Amino acid sequence: MGATFDERRLAQEAAMGDQRAWDGLVDRFGELVWSTARAWGLNPEQGADAVQVTWLRLAEQLDRLQVNHERLGVWLAVTARRESLRLLRAGRETQPGPDVSSGPPAATAAAGSARDGLLWRLVHELPEHCRRMLRILVTTPPPSHEEVAAALDLPVASVGALRADCLRDFRSRMAKISIKEQLGDS
Amino acid sequence: MSYEPFEQNDAPDPQDARLLEELRRAAGRYDPPPTSVMEAARASLTWRSIDAELAALAFDSAVDQPASAVRSAGGPRQLAFDAPGLSIEVEVSLAGSSRQLIGQLTPPQPARIDIRHAGGITTVDTDALGRFRAVAISGGPVSLRCHPTAPLSAPRFVTEWVPL
Repeated sequence: MGATFDERRLAQEAAMGDQRAWDGLVDRFGELVWSTARAWGLNPEQGADAVQVTWLRLAEQLDRLQVNHERLGVWLAVTARRESLRLLRAGRETQPGPDVSSGPPAATAAAGSARDGLLWRLVHELPEHCRRMLRILVTTPPPSHEEVAAALDLPVASVGALRADCLRDFRSRMAKISIKEQLGDS
Repeated sequence: MSYEPFEQNDAPDPQDARLLEELRRAAGRYDPPPTSVMEAARASLTWRSIDAELAALAFDSAVDQPASAVRSAGGPRQLAFDAPGLSIEVEVSLAGSSRQLIGQLTPPQPARIDIRHAGGITTVDTDALGRFRAVAISGGPVSLRCHPTAPLSAPRFVTEWVPL
């Protein structure tokens, strides 16, 4: 999918230094970049660094025509993935490992709706490749298949099937939990 | 504000759509991008260097070398950036919570180096052979801006940002 007219215009104006256009790009793609870092298991501190490097690189390269304005989301997702992996490898010896915590802490979950908390915990119980897939899919606004593929380093053609598999897996885990609850076994 | 949950190449399964919408709400509640992260993203535009060549990251021992090699060597991380006619090599070592950089310009020549990092801008001058050293560099994104100072020297350049 090509960029919308709006994204193209924002990219062109931001390349000329227009802060408001740049803010528009951050609003449009900010969550995709964050989700990519989190999908690869970076903790919030590492994620913040990966996200910032990604945006700094875009700012530096936007007006040098090294970034295709038509595919800004894909460029951002690829850059965020590469920088996330770089941080994981560079930080392995000096920083805590990747964030494998299983979703919201109990207190936070209780504060939100119980169902949301449960769903979010279930995402983190999925096999690694599905946890990543769902973490990207739930980005706002929803990413294109090209952006998902870029974020996860997958062939674009495989995204639809993998997505269906992971949602099926998720649903069957949900079903097991609700059966347990009905049997009073929780 | 609501978004169309499906792109053109999805088989629109309404059940999947509802589930993803619920999960999207959970993500917004439990793992949204922190405000500070979004603010830093907005501020990134002001760090552009429009008057300098961009030196691309050509080598990073953290990713371009097997992890076992880095570990067994136990040495500093090594980075190399290439700009037309000039390259810069940097060794990064940890000093407490900050970083120390030791660098070398090739071909050797004197220059002023601005090291841009989370703690601000640290400026150092190389010696006549293009060697430099900087301490107390913050972790996080770092970029070097290099102003060669010899007459008829290479144009100024700025390196790609790298997380240190």
